[in-house]
Amino acid sequence: MYKKEFLDKLSKATQKYEEEVNQILEELPGAEKERITSSGIPVKPLYTPLDVKDTDYFKDLGFPGEHPFTRGVYPGGYRSRKTNIRQITGLGTAEETNERWKWLISQGVTALAVIGVQPWGYDADDERAIGFTGKDEIVCDSLYDYETLFDGIDIGKFSVHLIAGSAFTLANYFAMAEKKGIPLKELKGSMSNTLKPSKQCLDIIEFCMKNVPNFNAGYLDVRNTREGGCTAAQEVGWGIAMTKTVVDVLVSRGIDVDDFASRITWFVNSGPDFFEEIAKFRCIRRMWSRMFRDDYGAKNPRTLQARMHCQTYAPSLTRAQPFNNLIRSAYYGLSAILGGVQSMHINSFDEPFATPTELSASLSVKTQQIINFETGITSVVDPLGGSYYVESLTDQLEEKAQEIIDDIESRGGSFKAFDLMKNQLRKEAIQLQDNIDSGKMVIVGTNEFVDEQDIQLKALEILQNSADFEAIKEYDPAIRDKQIARLTKVRKERDNAKLEKAMKELSDALNADDENIMPATIEAVKCYMTQGEYARVVAGANKQITKTDEEEFLG
Amino acid sequence: MKQSIKLLLSRDDMTHQRGYWVITNALRDAGIEVVLGGIQTPSAIVETAIQEDVDIIGYRIMQGSPKVLVPLLIEKMKAREIEDIPVMVGGIIPTKDEELIRELGVKEVIHPYTPLNRIVETINKICGMPTEKTEV
Repeated sequence: MYKKEFLDKLSKATQKYEEEVNQILEELPGAEKERITSSGIPVKPLYTPLDVKDTDYFKDLGFPGEHPFTRGVYPGGYRSRKTNIRQITGLGTAEETNERWKWLISQGVTALAVIGVQPWGYDADDERAIGFTGKDEIVCDSLYDYETLFDGIDIGKFSVHLIAGSAFTLANYFAMAEKKGIPLKELKGSMSNTLKPSKQCLDIIEFCMKNVPNFNAGYLDVRNTREGGCTAAQEVGWGIAMTKTVVDVLVSRGIDVDDFASRITWFVNSGPDFFEEIAKFRCIRRMWSRMFRDDYGAKNPRTLQARMHCQTYAPSLTRAQPFNNLIRSAYYGLSAILGGVQSMHINSFDEPFATPTELSASLSVKTQQIINFETGITSVVDPLGGSYYVESLTDQLEEKAQEIIDDIESRGGSFKAFDLMKNQLRKEAIQLQDNIDSGKMVIVGTNEFVDEQDIQLKALEILQNSADFEAIKEYDPAIRDKQIARLTKVRKERDNAKLEKAMKELSDALNADDENIMPATIEAVKCYMTQGEYARVVAGANKQITKTDEEEFLG
Repeated sequence: MKQSIKLLLSRDDMTHQRGYWVITNALRDAGIEVVLGGIQTPSAIVETAIQEDVDIIGYRIMQGSPKVLVPLLIEKMKAREIEDIPVMVGGIIPTKDEELIRELGVKEVIHPYTPLNRIVETINKICGMPTEKTEV
């Protein structure tokens, strides 16, 4: 990109500058002499064209909407479409969550996500559900709950994400949509069907590919892995490595990569390391596009686009000085917008205490609206593209992620390397904790700049004790009784003979060698099979459709 | 006097395990024997505590409700006559719930950002072990 003569001149000048600045920093007490990113990339005080001298603009950056998509997946960026403001919701029974959704829509969310629809394996009247029913999540035992949840919600206008990787959940969503008169061929939405080698995961992807073409059935959850303590480079590297392994399995099932890969979405984090996070989103897009184009010969341009939903980093949220969490999360959200994500949840300030209230959830929506509509940040696509620093970080992160991917590939792919990844994750988490306990990593108000009086906490307590609205969410154990009443009504009113037949057919489908489990699951949920009954059918089948959640969760 | 402390560490749900494993590691480094209960209901915690003859129970709660689960645990402990085993609770614990469960006899409540060495010191103190300076 630059002439040799210029680079020689710049190299000399830079060397002189660095000597000078290093001397200043060396002599100045308290100066920041060293800084490394979460991924271990050393950060210099200044970046120049020398740091991007090998960049080939068309090959490495290009234009937004074109390979390698470093600068964004859509040509017009946020000018054509702002991020979806999508705050995770789930509390009480379907009635409470439906009410919260309607309220959030009135505040300006543009998409929906529901947590708690991943089946627990037992119904609300099971002893094991005591203390959980409708606490941090919605409780959805049967189709009746899904019907209530989506009552009066226009799912054509508000795209819905189901935080679940279960055939049962998806079947209920389909049955609910059908009742609303929406054909599967037109149905939109997405789910947390994290890519893994289970029959359930692959059956869902295959079924949707053939019958629900607009549904995003594949999912890469690296966001919760980041919460578990990994680095930005691992977030990228593990995400790509997991994709490769699943794509290889699907291709071996005789499926064309272009038929399903465009329906995989990323779930990513955005945390404290501001510029490294921006670089990360750019790096994910570039590596994704290169992998599908060069390794798998994908032709569908959509396959090459890494589309991302971001939820901001939660482990840095603090109980001390709780309103600081508003400021933290706003910066994390800003990183994600500068990095070009498609959809976002900004954490609420009270999440270290309890489930968000209307007040705190609304502030998360407003934070996004301020970024989107007041600051002008969204008017230019990839505004930090060309920054010597951000481009250099993007390149270095890609190198680190590639090393991680190569290592996993050399061990036979991410399924075989799963325990290794888990061990590495735990090691990183311990290191992070050491850094916090030692004060090396500053958490304002917690291990540094502590306010013994904590005026913010006092303010929150005053709100909690005297406001005429809920300032900190309190769990009402009576939710369980309410849900048991709903469940009892379902069991009484449904056609139990018809259900029994449908469950027998589901059991046969689960035992069959080459039968997709989705059609029989849909039929059974239409007969109001509950999550507890579903779990018993699955447990009774000879074939395992999934490993336990415990084994599979990397976070 | 006992040579070392044996602690049962259980949690309420399957997600977000970072704290669980970080604490496990720190306790082991400090010479505490940790029995990994994993995801357990209050009844299961009690049975494991009996079988393993532990000195103290650590219960991490995040998705569940502390004000429901902790009274249940204590009720089950009383039924099996092990209510003298001290209980520590950690996780996402609302302030009002913390007051309630402390009244019920929970010895300590650990919130995010409690330094690991302080957790170790607290366990040593509760279990009557010498309070030597612990490096974590």
